[in-house]
Amino acid sequence: MHPFDIKTVLFAKHAQHVVLIHFPIALFIIGVLFDFLAQWKKQRLLAAAAYYNLLVAAIATIPVVATGILAWQWELEGQKLKGILLMHLVMGCASSALICVVWFIHRKSRRNQEEVLPGYRLPIEAVAVVIVALTGHLGGFLSGVNGPG
Amino acid sequence: MRRSVFIAGLAAALVLGMGLFGTGRKGSVTSAQEKSSTMEVKIDNFSFGPVELTVPVGTMVTWINRDDIPHTVVSTDDSKTFKSKVLDTDEKFSFTFSKAGTYPYFCSIHPKMTGKVIVQ
Repeated sequence: MHPFDIKTVLFAKHAQHVVLIHFPIALFIIGVLFDFLAQWKKQRLLAAAAYYNLLVAAIATIPVVATGILAWQWELEGQKLKGILLMHLVMGCASSALICVVWFIHRKSRRNQEEVLPGYRLPIEAVAVVIVALTGHLGGFLSGVNGPG
Repeated sequence: MRRSVFIAGLAAALVLGMGLFGTGRKGSVTSAQEKSSTMEVKIDNFSFGPVELTVPVGTMVTWINRDDIPHTVVSTDDSKTFKSKVLDTDEKFSFTFSKAGTYPYFCSIHPKMTGKVIVQ
């Protein structure tokens, strides 16, 4: 094993996807929580906290999607997926897209210097949290976090 | 006297018969083992069972996934001797070992899952 071989560093026994995935999940869920609180308490500080959490969550999806797709292509040689793996791939892509959409809605409002964020973002955020949670559940099931060792 | 001779003869015949039957069974088991050229490794609960398997050259080893989630079987030796596709529940992968040696392997989805086939 070569310590500077990118495949060795990123995958197999050093699988990074399962490590990196925690960042967008945590940042997005806390970002949505801040946004809901900001809406409820009418506090700009909470809205700003929500925005920056959502921004970093959207950025964090890039390496997560990249490592997930590369793991599929390198470790599984890009074979046709089915079952839980396919479901995880589809829901992972949907989650990433929704995280970016939610951040984009916030960014657009900030750019346009709108006083009030659009109300339709809240149901989108709620649906996104559910899909992110389901994707994470599938990922945890696949990675065997409840298995021995 | 005749009766006791008859009983002794019957007992001797029984002992001899049982001995022959036992030998025959033993022989049949041995020959079955000698003839057997397939071995099975069960994948269950995120582990390979048996973890270490010793087989003679020419043996075909079959891995069968009895777990609820997908697994792979990938050799970690330098020449990457064998690599399965993703095995869903109840799917199998077989490989025939034609060369002696030690073949460590793992599941590329769950790298903590490791096993070894020793071919003698």
